[in-house]
Amino acid sequence: MERTHLYDWHKMHGDVIPFAGWEMPVRYSDIRDEHMAVRDAVGIFDTSHMFRFFIKGPQASEFLQRMTTNNVSKLEVNGGHYTTCLNENGGIRDDLMLYRIDADEYIWVTNAANGPKIREHLVKHSKSFDVQVQDRSSEIAMIAVQGPKALHLLSKMAGRDLNEYSRFTCNPVKIAGYDTYLCRTGYTGEDGAEVLILNCPLTNEGKKRAIGFWEALLSQGSEFGATPCGLGARDSTRLEAGLVLYGHELDEDTSPIEARIPYAVKFKVEPHYIGYDIVKSHKEVGVKKTRIGFVMTDRGIPRENYPILLNGQVIGQTTSGGVSPILNNGIGLGYVPPDLVNIGDVIEIDIKGRHRKAKVTEWPFYDPQRYGATRTG
Amino acid sequence: MGGTEVKDGLYYSKEHEYARVEGDIAVIGITDHAQNALHEITFVEISDVGTILKAGDECGLVESMKASSDIFTPVSGEIIEVNVELENAPEIVNEDCYGKGWMFKIKPSNLAADLSKLMDAEAYKSFIESE
Repeated sequence: MERTHLYDWHKMHGDVIPFAGWEMPVRYSDIRDEHMAVRDAVGIFDTSHMFRFFIKGPQASEFLQRMTTNNVSKLEVNGGHYTTCLNENGGIRDDLMLYRIDADEYIWVTNAANGPKIREHLVKHSKSFDVQVQDRSSEIAMIAVQGPKALHLLSKMAGRDLNEYSRFTCNPVKIAGYDTYLCRTGYTGEDGAEVLILNCPLTNEGKKRAIGFWEALLSQGSEFGATPCGLGARDSTRLEAGLVLYGHELDEDTSPIEARIPYAVKFKVEPHYIGYDIVKSHKEVGVKKTRIGFVMTDRGIPRENYPILLNGQVIGQTTSGGVSPILNNGIGLGYVPPDLVNIGDVIEIDIKGRHRKAKVTEWPFYDPQRYGATRTG
Repeated sequence: MGGTEVKDGLYYSKEHEYARVEGDIAVIGITDHAQNALHEITFVEISDVGTILKAGDECGLVESMKASSDIFTPVSGEIIEVNVELENAPEIVNEDCYGKGWMFKIKPSNLAADLSKLMDAEAYKSFIESE
């Protein structure tokens, strides 16, 4: 089991569980309260278990275009985008955030569970390019600051207005004396940032530095309602926003077109990425399955791997499910064949043998006028 | 999570249900240890009144913000009442699992034999400490 820089703090204040090879906090107080802090104020998440690869060299852009599906040439210095890395069959090896920090240098931030697999994949393919791949995960801590008050808090700590950095940018910024990359991104549906805190090796000194930043967020954030949040709220906020999670909605047998994340996939790119032809045919010819969202109308809470039924016939399977604290109702995501159901249609979820009605619903599951980044952005 | 309450006079299963004998019926719920582990309970569903069960049968489920877990009856018999309060206020199980948070009542069909297979408070305390 691995531990992040903040493990000692989590152990003292939270309920620590094993997750993807890491000992991580599932909650500190109530998952529901942590969830609502993200929607109404600001939630603080330790995301240091994710991997941070630095990719640098004269051919960094070409290399990354070969590796990923979004348009790397459109990514400006200090810009970031969501993208995927595919296998030869167009299945998703990984979904990630790619940030360009210099003309020839990028940061690839990826899922904890996929880190070792992706490192191997990148190192192997980098040999054909003039490029260096460096795993700097253990010397950089990463903390997500999410919610409508996130930028208020970070600006207060930085002593200047950080709203000058628009969403999806990544800039070197000094915050409370710490050298960071301020990435204006997140995984909750809310506005906010993911802060890469540099010079935090996994030593006592480095851990103390990371905990110092974390505690500064909490103490300076008390006026904004800053709340430490665990993996429970991380999952419930991303699900309520309809965001995909690797190992659930995404896997090596699912393409980004099937997963309905078309914004991560571009076709006017050079060179073509691995899996290009298959994803293009998924876009132009069609797919065998497509992702849907649904809200329970009967009693019951959906979970992953429950059968989805239409008119009594099993048509697919759920990939994630849980309670939406905002709707106070069961919500879920899953896959069904294309063109079988439309928004508003009634389906059934087989919850341990009990067939319960649900309505096919577009995500996010909350009202974007009242919650989420579009309201604050 | 210190301070787990184990009540004297109840019978406990390894799945963390309790049975309380009240006259000729048994009242079933989940233990304080179980509600603590689940935390924020969001949903409780129990099989219908009239369902005939054998001890150990699955007869419902509890959902929390974290996870889903099945309920097994520790006592054989017929479900004669289900706690309908929990339908709209499942959090009662977190607040008062041995009292208002009971889940269902059973008319036992094999009570003495079923109880002999369950733990008393002392044995259950050692069981959760060893888990």
